[in-house]
Amino acid sequence: MSLKHIYLLVTIILLIFKGYSCERLHELIYSSIEGSAACFRRLNGTHQTGCSTSDKGAVGVVHFVQDHDDVLWLATNASAGPYMAVVSTSKFGLVEFLIDHPTNIAGVLTYENASDIPSFFTHDTRCPNEFSSADGNQCSSSKEGGVVWNEKGTGLLKREIPFPIFFIPESRYEEIEKISHCFGRFNYDKNNQRGRSLCSIQLNSFMFAAINTEVCMRRSATSTIVTTTKVCDPLGDQNVYYSLFPRTKESKKQSITLVTARIDSASLFDGVSPGAASSVVGLVTLISAAAALAQLIPVSKSNLYAETNILWTLFNGEAFDYIGSQRVAYDIKRGVWPPNAPLAPTDVKLHVEIGQIGGSLSDYVNENTWPLNAFVPTLAPSTINDGDNDIQIFLKQLSNAYNMTIPGIFNGSLPPSSIHSFRRILSNVTESGEMLEMLLVDHKETFTNVFYNSALDDSDKIAYVYKNISMINNVTFISTAELIADGLMKETDTQVKISRLATALAHALYQRVVGEAYTGNITVSAHLVDEMLYCFLKNETCKLLSAAEFGGNEGPREGAGPAPLYVGVTSWNTVAPVFAGHLLALLTGTQLSLNKSQCETKPESGYTRLWLKGWNHNGVCIETTMNFSQALSPAFIISDYDFKSGTYSTWTESVWQTMWARVFVSASGGSACVAAATGAVSTLIAALLTFWLRRHSSLIFVDPPSATIVVDDAASGILRSVNC
Amino acid sequence: MDLSKLPNDMKLQLCKSYFKVGCLFLPFVWAVNVCWFFRDAFIKPAYDEQKLIKKFVIMSAIGAFVWAVILVTWITVYQTNRVSWGATGDALSFIVPLGRA
Repeated sequence: MSLKHIYLLVTIILLIFKGYSCERLHELIYSSIEGSAACFRRLNGTHQTGCSTSDKGAVGVVHFVQDHDDVLWLATNASAGPYMAVVSTSKFGLVEFLIDHPTNIAGVLTYENASDIPSFFTHDTRCPNEFSSADGNQCSSSKEGGVVWNEKGTGLLKREIPFPIFFIPESRYEEIEKISHCFGRFNYDKNNQRGRSLCSIQLNSFMFAAINTEVCMRRSATSTIVTTTKVCDPLGDQNVYYSLFPRTKESKKQSITLVTARIDSASLFDGVSPGAASSVVGLVTLISAAAALAQLIPVSKSNLYAETNILWTLFNGEAFDYIGSQRVAYDIKRGVWPPNAPLAPTDVKLHVEIGQIGGSLSDYVNENTWPLNAFVPTLAPSTINDGDNDIQIFLKQLSNAYNMTIPGIFNGSLPPSSIHSFRRILSNVTESGEMLEMLLVDHKETFTNVFYNSALDDSDKIAYVYKNISMINNVTFISTAELIADGLMKETDTQVKISRLATALAHALYQRVVGEAYTGNITVSAHLVDEMLYCFLKNETCKLLSAAEFGGNEGPREGAGPAPLYVGVTSWNTVAPVFAGHLLALLTGTQLSLNKSQCETKPESGYTRLWLKGWNHNGVCIETTMNFSQALSPAFIISDYDFKSGTYSTWTESVWQTMWARVFVSASGGSACVAAATGAVSTLIAALLTFWLRRHSSLIFVDPPSATIVVDDAASGILRSVNC
Repeated sequence: MDLSKLPNDMKLQLCKSYFKVGCLFLPFVWAVNVCWFFRDAFIKPAYDEQKLIKKFVIMSAIGAFVWAVILVTWITVYQTNRVSWGATGDALSFIVPLGRA
């Protein structure tokens, strides 16, 4: 009995000390790498792009790659099995060599180092969205000559990569240090690696989809007896639109000026797409200009200017063959956009697009100026010198308001922008000149933004530093002139430059609507721009978005860091368009004195009502003309669309279950052989022993002598009579 | 069930019923029939029912072999050509592999 008590005691003690560790023993050898972002698979009508591993993941021996000699060694002389190259983003060009010689490479781990920032890092193609561009586009990846927009682009975003690539951001640099220590201990001797225990990494990013969009959509849709696994999702999200004056089905025919910008960015890695210079600068310019114009021409004056309207639109998914703008152009052609009051293609007289303007901000960080250019594709050469063309007039008004000439470029190839979609799909009105188009950019021949659509396109690249100025009474923003006078901001600050451009745009549009130049002193506040940039580039939990979110949401948001701007899949709406839309509503809409339940009743036609938190976080009812429309490529709504035709964007994203990375020390070759041999030998011995025991069982297992005679007789008698 | 404990006419009945069941598109039943009654049909010394048992075993063997040939051919053709058949290949498949063609 005392033995039992001892066992119980020992068990309890063991449970107390070890009871919380429920990991399998074999899992304890791994150290997980947290915070990594993986390259994943996307597919279009004809190809699959990106990376994937096998179901079990990819295992490779760690090797730090610093220069070309290292990659050469990996490709030719390395002997200890597949390798995992660890390379800094500043040396990412070496990965190109590894892609060409992938036999000995299991994967790549790339990391961001603040003390070693690359001078360029962009993985979009050299001619972004080349196959969705309108005629007359001279940028070509296959032919020589012509202008190349994204000079430094490697094209990896739209290419198939034979191994997985994981990205470790700056905030997780300790993981790289951990791997470096491990590497220093085990892998240092390059020439004698075979047969030793080596520091290794296992990456897993198994992608479900394959081949191309047509195949993966077919596989996601087949109805079998068992429920189908979805293997891919179309890319898509929401477009945001807001009109200066309300539009209803009954309103008179208006001459519309469409002012657009893109809201999305892209990168090779999942969850890391800051898009500062690629998108956020244009986005913030548009929102602040719209807010200013709403103050210059309040909605109450809408009946004075019933013939014109300004329609501000933010397109989503532009990085992937112009998903948002293709859908809007297609919808306009069908006469279903905007949903509540559709317009006809001939209604839009001018389309102003805010394109790539963020790249040069870091170049002009010490100067007051920010030179811009305007590409105008629809002007026939013969009319250029007239100077009284509608678009040249607007350009002149804009230049005046901006205090700096914005030269028009009339016969150049059009840079990648949403205008291409309109020129392709609404070719009737664009080619005839009924819809004039203008693209505002900060470059002439090639992008100034050398981090275009990449994971490193963050706030440093646009020379942005948050000023953290408190608002007056928590409601009003300090005007730019006051900020400069008080020394809180300088003329060279990014925020001031953006506010000047937004002001110029608002004043020029005012002149276009009203017919006279603006003479008042309402300008865009650089304080507002500062707060907006903080929300989109630094942290979602910020003053503006806490005021602009849905009134029903509880408490401050958890988000540490900015919301990624990647368009994502259709079935999952991202937060960036919602933020942008609500910001527009809060800054331009009229506040109604209704409570929450009254706010939810049907509004007047042409408006939507939103119950937002408001500046004092108590809830406010905003009536606005802002709304969302679906940004899904027409390819996925047209039945029996031929995915190989190339007419519309066909991008989809693969489904995956998990993506993780972990580091461990692999067993040396010797110990594995010993374990296998031991196992085989002991199995053989056990088999022989069992066989020998069976043969001689009668000798070995002797029946014990019976204790009493009476009882056993009956039992053995019964046993003998049963015939099995 | 131990065949050595059965009388011969029951053995014949068993063999016959297995053969009949195998005709319902069940080649494995025929294969089992062959394996089980092989000793009784060919190796045991002659007895009355052995002739008929032999007949059934031979017919089951032929049937199982034909089925095997058909199945092996179809499986080989399907496995080598599924990818090149594209949409038809996917339509014929109950489980489509993830992450590859």
